[in-house]
Amino acid sequence: MNCDEARLILPEYLSESLSQAQDLAFASHLASCDACRAETERLGSLWRGLALLPGTLPEPGAQVRDRFYESLAAYRHGLESARGGWREKLSLLWPRQPAWQMAISFALLVLGVGLGYELRPAKQEVQPDVAQLRGEVSNMRQMVALSLMQQQSAGERLRGVNWAYRVESSDTEVLSALLDTVNNDPSVNVRESAVEALHRFGSSPVTRTAIVQSIRKQTSPLVQIALIDLLVDLKVSDAAPELNKLVSDDTIDSSVRDRAKWALGKILQ
Amino acid sequence: MNVNATDNALMASVGAGEVQKLAVLFERHHRGLFRYFVSMNRNRELSEDLVQDVFFRMLRYRASYDAQQSFTAWMYQIARNASVDSAQKRRGEVMCIDEFTDHKADPAAGPEESAVRSQDLKLLRQALDRLPADKREILVLSRFQGMKYEELAAVLGCEVGTVKVRVYRAMRALEQAYLIISGEKTA
Repeated sequence: MNCDEARLILPEYLSESLSQAQDLAFASHLASCDACRAETERLGSLWRGLALLPGTLPEPGAQVRDRFYESLAAYRHGLESARGGWREKLSLLWPRQPAWQMAISFALLVLGVGLGYELRPAKQEVQPDVAQLRGEVSNMRQMVALSLMQQQSAGERLRGVNWAYRVESSDTEVLSALLDTVNNDPSVNVRESAVEALHRFGSSPVTRTAIVQSIRKQTSPLVQIALIDLLVDLKVSDAAPELNKLVSDDTIDSSVRDRAKWALGKILQ
Repeated sequence: MNVNATDNALMASVGAGEVQKLAVLFERHHRGLFRYFVSMNRNRELSEDLVQDVFFRMLRYRASYDAQQSFTAWMYQIARNASVDSAQKRRGEVMCIDEFTDHKADPAAGPEESAVRSQDLKLLRQALDRLPADKREILVLSRFQGMKYEELAAVLGCEVGTVKVRVYRAMRALEQAYLIISGEKTA
């Protein structure tokens, strides 16, 4: 390998994407060429520095996400309205002669004014398309919550949990994702926040049973206490047997047992 | 909804009419796109608008997406077009250039080391900003977005061999700019 060939693959060497054979050839060239070795060291330092630069850049504002979901909802709405294809069907019935076109237009105008007057509503009601748009926005919120809860960064998952407050309390997909987060998320902060968000879904028997079952699965006393507090807030009287077991279980953290004892008193009041 | 699907599969579904799946792609890529734009134009507000524009264009041109093609390369082709169109519209306008210096210190480094590194990164940032747009872009795409040479070739519309030469030249230009700025600072 000569110097020109070495220069051509220098960035690949720095990003460790050379094949084993190329890597060996490059290394053996460096061993015999002071100039290329010095250049590789200098550019290597800048190359590593470049990887750190994104950390110096700002993050996009929160409104970027809101604007995107609003646009997507509006686009979906428009798409579904257009799928009806009523315009195409109507255009087939439209006559070619201008005289007929004018006559039909006038007749439709008179009919429209008459019908509009007869059928005018007593009060303003929510238009069906507005209701549909609201439904779309609700779906979008569900999607944001679900997508964010799947992210690698704990900060993002935390944001996903916070989005769970914006969905309908009957949303079983988000409930299921929250329960999964409570039981399996590696971050204690995220698990604790998910427990808080479950409050909103407290009327569902699924939630109440899952909270009781989750206490023993937890490794962090903080999350266990948060779950016990949630049982008290939701007045889950069915939890008494499990709380009794926790109180008398020596393997459980003492602060959790104390909280379980306090909770028993509250629930059975 | 399967939120673990690959980018290509998701975009293919968007193309087939399941436009709601664009939400997953948005969550995966809007930060990377924003970093690309803000590295190229140094303007936060404009970069946020361009991110919106890219996702809107993806909806508009969704039917033209070929699932055999790299989604990332396709997305950055759209991003480049959006950037060019926006620059044409803004021709003659005076742009506000933002300063971004809030580098987070590395917790593993000592205070002195961290300060030196922070200063070095500031110089490197300035050196990158002084590069011509084409050199800056190729470094941003390969180093910030982690693009492979094949993807870069698809985005930039050239051969893989040309990409290699251009990356090397951009690195040399960056080194020159860095040395000049370091000299200015110590003079």
